[in-house]
Amino acid sequence: MRNYLRLVWAIARKDLLVEFRTHERLTAMGAFVVLIGILFNFSIDSALVRPQDIAAALIWMTIIFGGMLGLGRTFRLEQEDAALSGILQSPIPIAALYLGKVVGNFILLSVMVALVFVVFGAFFSLRFSGSPLTLVGVVALGVLGFVSLTTFFSAMATRSSMGESLLPVLVFPLLVPVVVYGTTATDRLFIGRPIAEVSGNLRMLAAFAILFTVACAWLFRFVIEE
Amino acid sequence: MSQKQIRWAVGVLGALGVATVIVLHWMVFFWVPTESTMGVVQRIFYIHVPAWWIAFLGFGLVALCSAVYLWLGDERLDRAAVAGAEAGMIFTTIGLLTGPLWGRVAWGTWWEWEPRLTLALLLWFIYLGYFLVRRSTANPEQGKRLAAVVGVIGVLDIPLIHVSVTWLRSLHPEAVILSASNPMNLDPSMGATIGVGLLAFTLVFASLFLARYAVATYEHELDLRDATPAGTQGAEAG
Amino acid sequence: MSFGLEAEGLVRTFGGLRAVDGVSFQLRPGELLTVFGPNGAGKTTLLRMLGGVMRPTSGQVRVAGAPADVASRDWRHRVGIVSHQSLLYGQLTIEENLRFYGRLFGLTDLKARIPERLESVGLADRGRTPVRDLSRGLKQRAALARALLHDPEVVLLDEPYTGLDPHASKVLREQLASLKDGRHTVVLVTHNLIQGLELADRVAIQIRGRFLSVTDAGSLDLAGFEALYHAAVADHG
Repeated sequence: MRNYLRLVWAIARKDLLVEFRTHERLTAMGAFVVLIGILFNFSIDSALVRPQDIAAALIWMTIIFGGMLGLGRTFRLEQEDAALSGILQSPIPIAALYLGKVVGNFILLSVMVALVFVVFGAFFSLRFSGSPLTLVGVVALGVLGFVSLTTFFSAMATRSSMGESLLPVLVFPLLVPVVVYGTTATDRLFIGRPIAEVSGNLRMLAAFAILFTVACAWLFRFVIEE
Repeated sequence: MSQKQIRWAVGVLGALGVATVIVLHWMVFFWVPTESTMGVVQRIFYIHVPAWWIAFLGFGLVALCSAVYLWLGDERLDRAAVAGAEAGMIFTTIGLLTGPLWGRVAWGTWWEWEPRLTLALLLWFIYLGYFLVRRSTANPEQGKRLAAVVGVIGVLDIPLIHVSVTWLRSLHPEAVILSASNPMNLDPSMGATIGVGLLAFTLVFASLFLARYAVATYEHELDLRDATPAGTQGAEAG
Repeated sequence: MSFGLEAEGLVRTFGGLRAVDGVSFQLRPGELLTVFGPNGAGKTTLLRMLGGVMRPTSGQVRVAGAPADVASRDWRHRVGIVSHQSLLYGQLTIEENLRFYGRLFGLTDLKARIPERLESVGLADRGRTPVRDLSRGLKQRAALARALLHDPEVVLLDEPYTGLDPHASKVLREQLASLKDGRHTVVLVTHNLIQGLELADRVAIQIRGRFLSVTDAGSLDLAGFEALYHAAVADHG
């Protein structure tokens, strides 16, 4: 078990190290988040709509679109000099490779999500009156579900000739539960409703995240093998 | 089953299916009484509900065959999966077209985010992903495997999507009024008509399914023939 | 004595195409097999199956007598792969690359092992250079250090000379020659007759996925083999 986790972490750590060197994915996601915040600001007539009424929706859509931008490239860097062949030849279990990718992407996306909240909080002067810890739980579970599916399908998109353009078609229909439960819970927490009102959402988000992390880890070999 | 038997079955099931569809239409237009609260538009249900059933039957087949295909790698299972997917997508499309026709009259809008309609729309897109992935790889075997994976992941997600969109609707009070218009107290003749509809569509589906399966088998045989053209038969190891 | 590497009826199809079509051979530890063949003969596919990267449609690979399935992982520390691509991450330094792969292979003595390997390929002072800043020749040496990091008994080489200048080729050849120590089983895939023949114990020509023959290299002279090879390619290619 410890050896397994060590392998998972070796993959995640390598991905993060590459990102730390190049800043490619974080730059793309960070710029996207700030720019989309600016565009949203101009696209909302604040005389008619109060930004806080639609904040949760904007935040989650930004997380998903921005995340797509970074996660779609997960396996691109493995292909550059065929490094993926090197990994596949090594003794690491295929599921550990997938889980390592998920861990690395989750950490990367956490940085982006933090930026989303800072930027949107500032741009739309949002006031948060709920339980911050519960919000972290909702976002973390939602993002984990999103990351596990998107990482999986980004490997599939890399294997296909359509590439990243395939990713939204495959992932968006499957993400509906994350959007439904994530957005409604975030909405409620923003206006300070009691935590009990979102416990159902938390359970569903956790179920989604666990189900797809396990299922994708198990199915990953069918995607990654040639 | 041999190809010949399959072709025979396609014909018989198809003929039976078309005959039952004609009977169904006679029942819908001339036999079954008009439902009292919804009026004449409710008759579209006899087409809509069976289409809906086949959409899910098709996807169930896709998921089941895909899972076992990944497990055993038997080509025939992949052919069954793609046959189920194509036939299933046709009926999903029928469901998506007939739903709004009814909705326009019953709800006054072409589109409502009614849970079942929403689920059908998403199912249609999962089918689309299945076909896109299948055709998008240079190596056809890999395309089959990737598509099978989409089928398995899709069937895992469908219950969660269903629960989530139903739950979301329950947050909005108007949904309750709308769902009250569902035909719960069926007149026996209405039940019979629905039953005939289910039978008709299942027969048509079975015929389409087998026909598509036979085509896939022929395609496979053609691939094999192309792979070993007569000119290279002599290239034995020396 | 058991064989170092065995292939038994390996077949790999892509759709209707049979890229590798029933390849069998047996190599004892210490032997080097060179597989020649024109482009598209299925050499790379064969090597990827031998390395457990690609699943054979049918047939089996055995490493040190034990089945080497794609699904099982425990035999993999016995095999190393060098390709014409480096299998390295350009953004990371050589040391970081080796450390990463060392962890995947479960090696625990990386602090001592990495400098040792770099030394042996003549990169002792380049450990902290990012791989993308290396010349083609140095990059290939780094790739060799990566492949040999875990001390594999079986080494698979896929066109390792591609893109190397004469000097870099010479250095690589010397390093490959050091694999002929009686312990390593080596398969070299190439379309270059001279580089392929000079280290070979046994020679095979692969055309349209099939091995035409497996012969001892000792009995061959370059001119004769060249004529044989061209005749074979012209006949079947």
